[in-house]
Amino acid sequence: MKSRGTGWLGITIVLLAALSRPVTGQSPGAAELAQRLAGMTAVTGYEKAMVDTILSLLPDAKRDRAGSAVLVLGSGEPRRLAACPLDETGFAVGRVRPDGWITLHRSPARGGPPGPLFDQQLEGQRVTVFGSRGAVPAVVAVRSVHLTRGRGPLSQEPFTVDDAYMDVGATSDRQVGQLGVTVLTPVAITKQPHRYGSDRLAAPWAGRRAACAALLSAARDVSKSGGGARGGTTVVGFVVEQQLGARGLLTLATTQGPFAETWIADAAGAGSAFQSAQVPAGPRAALGQLHNWEIPTRYPGTPVETVSLPEVDRLNATMSSWLKGEGAR
Amino acid sequence: MRVLLLLGLVAGFAGRLTAQQSDRVGQAQAVLAPLVESYGVSGAEAPVRATVERLLPQWAKKKAETDTAGNLWVRVGKGDPLIVFVAHLDEIGFEIKAIREDGSLEIETRGGFFPSLFEAQPALIHTGTGIVPGVFMPRDSVGSKPERAPAGFRVDVGTDTRAATESLGVRVGHTITMPKHYVRLAGTRATGRSFDDRVGCAALILALRRLNPERLRHEVAFIFSVREEIGLEGAAAAAASLGGTPVRVHAIDTFVSADSPLEPQTFAVAPIGRGPVARALDNNSVAPPALVDSLARLARVNGIQLQIGTTNGGNDGAAFAAWGVPDVAIGWALRYSHSPAEVIDLRDVIGLGDMVQAIAERW
Repeated sequence: MKSRGTGWLGITIVLLAALSRPVTGQSPGAAELAQRLAGMTAVTGYEKAMVDTILSLLPDAKRDRAGSAVLVLGSGEPRRLAACPLDETGFAVGRVRPDGWITLHRSPARGGPPGPLFDQQLEGQRVTVFGSRGAVPAVVAVRSVHLTRGRGPLSQEPFTVDDAYMDVGATSDRQVGQLGVTVLTPVAITKQPHRYGSDRLAAPWAGRRAACAALLSAARDVSKSGGGARGGTTVVGFVVEQQLGARGLLTLATTQGPFAETWIADAAGAGSAFQSAQVPAGPRAALGQLHNWEIPTRYPGTPVETVSLPEVDRLNATMSSWLKGEGAR
Repeated sequence: MRVLLLLGLVAGFAGRLTAQQSDRVGQAQAVLAPLVESYGVSGAEAPVRATVERLLPQWAKKKAETDTAGNLWVRVGKGDPLIVFVAHLDEIGFEIKAIREDGSLEIETRGGFFPSLFEAQPALIHTGTGIVPGVFMPRDSVGSKPERAPAGFRVDVGTDTRAATESLGVRVGHTITMPKHYVRLAGTRATGRSFDDRVGCAALILALRRLNPERLRHEVAFIFSVREEIGLEGAAAAAASLGGTPVRVHAIDTFVSADSPLEPQTFAVAPIGRGPVARALDNNSVAPPALVDSLARLARVNGIQLQIGTTNGGNDGAAFAAWGVPDVAIGWALRYSHSPAEVIDLRDVIGLGDMVQAIAERW
């Protein structure tokens, strides 16, 4: 499907060299996982592939009724929860036109986009359609700059999802169907994690992915070592549908709780939405005392949201200590 | 497994093609993909020129010459009349105009495009000795009602000081692009950035590969030009060196198509996948009607599906106008011009190469 010429090979070699650069003090597991997860997509409600990956990397974990990946360490009281949201605001196919063009609907569909320029990230860019027969490359149409000349000023209103016409190269709805693409098929900006500087990783939702990678790496270490020495029960959850009323997290609260305390790992600033009034009081109370593990980001909410990989390492170390009951907070 | 399944689906879409057609699609892709994945902002076309030279047939490599402007020439055949084909090597992008104290890069555009398509995207700085990755910085403040276009933006290479940026080999005047890949879409379609004008370059190479130079009845010059996007500068140098010698010039360049739900359907309505397009009228040239009619006859006689249309944009052939050389520009339909997600149909690349060959041999 994808042909690479020598030019691209040259760039690939340069970028791979950058990817393989050792980062001082960096846990290779956490850094590698951050880059791997940053290249994946988990549109709210369509996180199955991401959860499958988590389960393959954390064999003792199970999928719960909400679809989250859950690892239970130890037993008895007290009960604690460490959770990381997996999902991202993205899109689903809203309509397939007879001429093969595809229009989109945002998921989660409640409320507006995460920011006024969020939908504009799509315009004129590569997207990936996660069809039933595999990932399908596509683009979102943009006006040709040449054809705007001599036709008066362009609108300065930001591009919205209602302006998005997705092009998979098909000429009919039948061709689109043959690709395994139908209404509800998830769609997201094509993820190509980008390393720059000495230790920076840029990708859409990089902060959230890095936080999950840090927790995943810590959980793997503790799980491999037999669950650590900490008394009581520690539940580690990689939760779905955080963007839609924190469904995955609340399911953990009601099925695994009540917890004495809950730690939520996420990009800095992302946890505030969860602590708002959208969370019902009962399940909220079952989470116990709430704390955040946050990873700082540059350019948050953009396609080049950036994290520092040593920060991932530091967060990973903090989480490992907490999981092992070493008193770190 | 999924990749195999999708390959099967593509094969299914392409199933309407004969085996020979599928083979030709593969050949066109093998030429086009490395051209698309070479970087060459106007004034820094050396990597693209090197890729063109590598893809030329052996006999043409021996004839290839680069002039002082940077244009690559392949002159073939002997005798009058001289016919010129010109396709440009360069692509739109950015150039560094200053390095700030905080290490970030102030940039300016090279060529015309919507800067918003680059905002908050990965960046590559082409230093001449290597590529330094960075990011096009998002605007500092969005507010509740931002405008679509950023007021301007910079590039962050992950440093905090000017000295640290310079230690990476980054200098004022270096060019910047975003990463690009050639990617096959459904059927015979593909996406990438800088199809304008790598498809034109590919068509010339495909024609050269099929030409028998011994059979040409007159001289033909194939010019791969530089700096088209910033004012036809390479073509102007070529035209000045040839003067009024050519009987015709054929710019082989994009036909910017309105084949999209976003475009007004008043002109430029040439769908992709229906063959090359005679650019009979654009922003800086009008092909003589008699020559357009003659071109259409040539296409018909040779079994080449040719569209005829009018679009916006200029072309290198216009640089020959001062010497009275008629410009009969030919292109292929392109969706979403000068964006990171241009879309073409590979059958048009084949048809364009065939058209160039037919003109060289029979017109």
